[in-house]
Amino acid sequence: MTLLDLLLLLSLATGALAWLLGRWSGAGVLAALLYAGQLALLGAMDGSAAASPTFQVLGQTIAWSLDPFGRFFALITLGAAIASAWFMAGEWGRRYTQAGHSLRALHGALAINVLAMLLLLASTDLVSLFIGWELVSWAGFLLMAQGGAAAVRAALRYVTYAMGGAMAVLGGTVLAYAWTGTLDLGLLAERLPALEPGRLWLLVALFTGGFGVKMGLLPFHLWQAPAYAEAPGPGTAFLGAISSRMGLFAIALVLARLVTLEGLDGLQILPGQFGVRDLLAWVAAFTIVLPTFTALKQNDARYLLAWHGIGQGGYMLMGLVVGDAMGSAGGLMHVFNHATYQAALFLSVYAVIHRTGTADLNRLGGLVVRMPLSFLTMLVGIIGLAGLPPMNGFVSKWLIYRSLMTEGMPLLFVASVIGTLGTILSVYKLIHNTFLGQLRSEHEHIREAPWSMTGPMLALCAIVFVTGTAPGLVLGWVADAQAALGLPVLRYTLGGVASAKGGLDMLWIVGVLFGGFGVGALLFYGGGGRSRRVHQLDNYAGGHFLSADVRYQYSDNFYAGLMHRIGPLYRNAFTWLESALVSAVDLAALAMQGVYRQQAPAFLLLMTAVAGLAWVVL
Amino acid sequence: MSDLKQIPIHAEGDAGGDPKSEGLFTRVFDELKAFCRSRSLFMLHYCTGCGAIELPPAMTSRFDMERLGIQPMVTPRQADILLVTGYVSIKTLKRIILTYEQMGGPKYVIGICSCTVNGGMYWQSYATAKVLNEYLPVDLYIAGCMPRPEAVITGMRQLMENIRTGKADNWKDYYRRYDHYLGNQQQLFGERWQTPTDVIGEADHYGLAGPETTGPHTALLQQHQVPLQPLEMRLGSRQERKP
Ligand code: SF4
Repeated sequence: MTLLDLLLLLSLATGALAWLLGRWSGAGVLAALLYAGQLALLGAMDGSAAASPTFQVLGQTIAWSLDPFGRFFALITLGAAIASAWFMAGEWGRRYTQAGHSLRALHGALAINVLAMLLLLASTDLVSLFIGWELVSWAGFLLMAQGGAAAVRAALRYVTYAMGGAMAVLGGTVLAYAWTGTLDLGLLAERLPALEPGRLWLLVALFTGGFGVKMGLLPFHLWQAPAYAEAPGPGTAFLGAISSRMGLFAIALVLARLVTLEGLDGLQILPGQFGVRDLLAWVAAFTIVLPTFTALKQNDARYLLAWHGIGQGGYMLMGLVVGDAMGSAGGLMHVFNHATYQAALFLSVYAVIHRTGTADLNRLGGLVVRMPLSFLTMLVGIIGLAGLPPMNGFVSKWLIYRSLMTEGMPLLFVASVIGTLGTILSVYKLIHNTFLGQLRSEHEHIREAPWSMTGPMLALCAIVFVTGTAPGLVLGWVADAQAALGLPVLRYTLGGVASAKGGLDMLWIVGVLFGGFGVGALLFYGGGGRSRRVHQLDNYAGGHFLSADVRYQYSDNFYAGLMHRIGPLYRNAFTWLESALVSAVDLAALAMQGVYRQQAPAFLLLMTAVAGLAWVVL
Repeated sequence: MSDLKQIPIHAEGDAGGDPKSEGLFTRVFDELKAFCRSRSLFMLHYCTGCGAIELPPAMTSRFDMERLGIQPMVTPRQADILLVTGYVSIKTLKRIILTYEQMGGPKYVIGICSCTVNGGMYWQSYATAKVLNEYLPVDLYIAGCMPRPEAVITGMRQLMENIRTGKADNWKDYYRRYDHYLGNQQQLFGERWQTPTDVIGEADHYGLAGPETTGPHTALLQQHQVPLQPLEMRLGSRQERKP
């Protein structure tokens, strides 16, 4: 029994137990503990941990082994699973059951997702990669489809995309085997870069496109937001935190480890000017900008966050494609950072839904006085998402920006900054419309969410803050992952990065920041700390007398002025493209149906005649 | 939240007592404070009447009020000066009083234009409040129809000087003689007139409540006063609302 065997067995057992005991009230706590046990096993691993079971396909050995790169992702997966299971352990789960849903199905689906992801992350060859990939896809479907009718529709759309992606990956696998004669990733890494450019082009396109579907890479991003947003609460948090990063994992594996950056440099569109790496970087840039500005338009908090999940994936790919030590570290670290704050954000949104029954940003407001801990969670989360200090999102984005600057890609830098601008605007909308402003009378009597829900939220907040202040804690794992991928390794310190070109020390930044707060607090409280509380209606509205029937929290049609300017830029081109494609397929299917149903005899006669003629002639 | 009286109000500004009598150090500190205060003034310009048109040149590059440390501010809670820039109709006066009461002390009122002094060319009008300082404690008038930016700036400098030397404390007068001001307001607006601000409570907390803070007019106010209600807020038009 190796450690990986134990880990996978425990993961399997978690799934079985979650399914069997799912109805029991302590199931959530048990599941969280079991995930924590898996995390402990993960922590005990060292170097590459192999699993014992192997089998043979085409004379090739199929095996599983978890290297530091896979472990980095596995760590995030298990962390997200703990938070999600913990969240549904108490009142949330009871309410979910009362509403007629099956909690044990949800627990089971979550556990299966974790197992599938672990298998994918531990793959050592193209076959195990493909097996893991399919498992992850279908496990994701299981989790997504549990949220009711809209969720099922979204999940079916996802499956359509995922199958397309899987076909591309399968095609890539077959071609890679045909051209190199091996399935093993180690051997492929030696042989692939030596392939002629045309073949390499095809492989890169197939793999990146196939895996990119899961990541929500443009133009395959349309499925993701509804599929994630409609999943049941903690499921959304889990999916949003880590699920689509499996695509990034696989892309990084193929591009950085198999094809290698030198191999990619050999693929040029305009020789010396624009290569495949530039192309990918621009795809990443558009993946940042377009979904982020789509998020800005959302009025449902869950959709808003889910669209951001797509956009933030763009940053990760961008960092990886730049490929220097800082950029790739930023990209990988952003996976961790995004998972932590995104899970926190989703959980706080679901805490609000739990209490108010809605995530509609036009129907909330002023909740900070009723749900201060959820507010705190969302505040920490949006600071992370917007990439501002002292939260961890700042560090990874700083690394990516920095590498874009030093590697001489100013246009991409501008694109990412535009994305960040959109992020800041929309997270402000999120927190303003939910927690700030006017408390609605129907929410007068709301209480804070129970501890079983605020517990994981606050734990995630703590992680977001601590890893933002001392990013070295995460950068250690990131550096190991970089080494395992064969990328240049970042030189890091506890506070950030040591670099001759200008480093980053978050300990100092956070120290100065809180020092400033401290001075302000000292002045305020030293001066007596005098403050005065006023009624919400004792407010300034240009001298207007406010009364209870006056709405003055303008959440409806938020950013009307901005939308007046940029509104015409939203073309919905991708939605149009998708529906055009669907119509085309529909039409073709209809035509085939017509041919088979009505013209069957004539058609068959024609076919036979043509076949006969061809046979005779040839 | 619903009952205004439950809202705790803590003292702001000077808590009574004559600072001059408290030793050299306190005096130096107070003078420093007054100096600093006079050099950083945020004004809320409640632009009524014609005089507002003289403010853009006064604020922008030609006359540049900002070099004196005077800047516009968008909300009353952060503002120090309330600028009333012309004739004040009765309807507007209600808003001005509401805005004034929302400002935190110390606060100053400037009346620009002759119309604020005595009604100016509107002295016959049935709808214009004539003498602003009957309703609010005005610190300074800048007369003229309308005063040029030079005059506005000179007035501002005078106010700064008054603040520095401690002469501009009319805002305390509003608390000390609230009954008088409220009486004038009631005469104009009718006996049901009220604002959400608990002025008497504030006067107590500032330590400025005097014999004239309360009186027959405040008693009248207390008869009619309706506390602020929690908010009823729904999407959609009035018709859609539940009865
Ligand atoms: S004083 Fe003259 S300029 Fe000023 S508000 Fe009255 S009429 Fe207008």
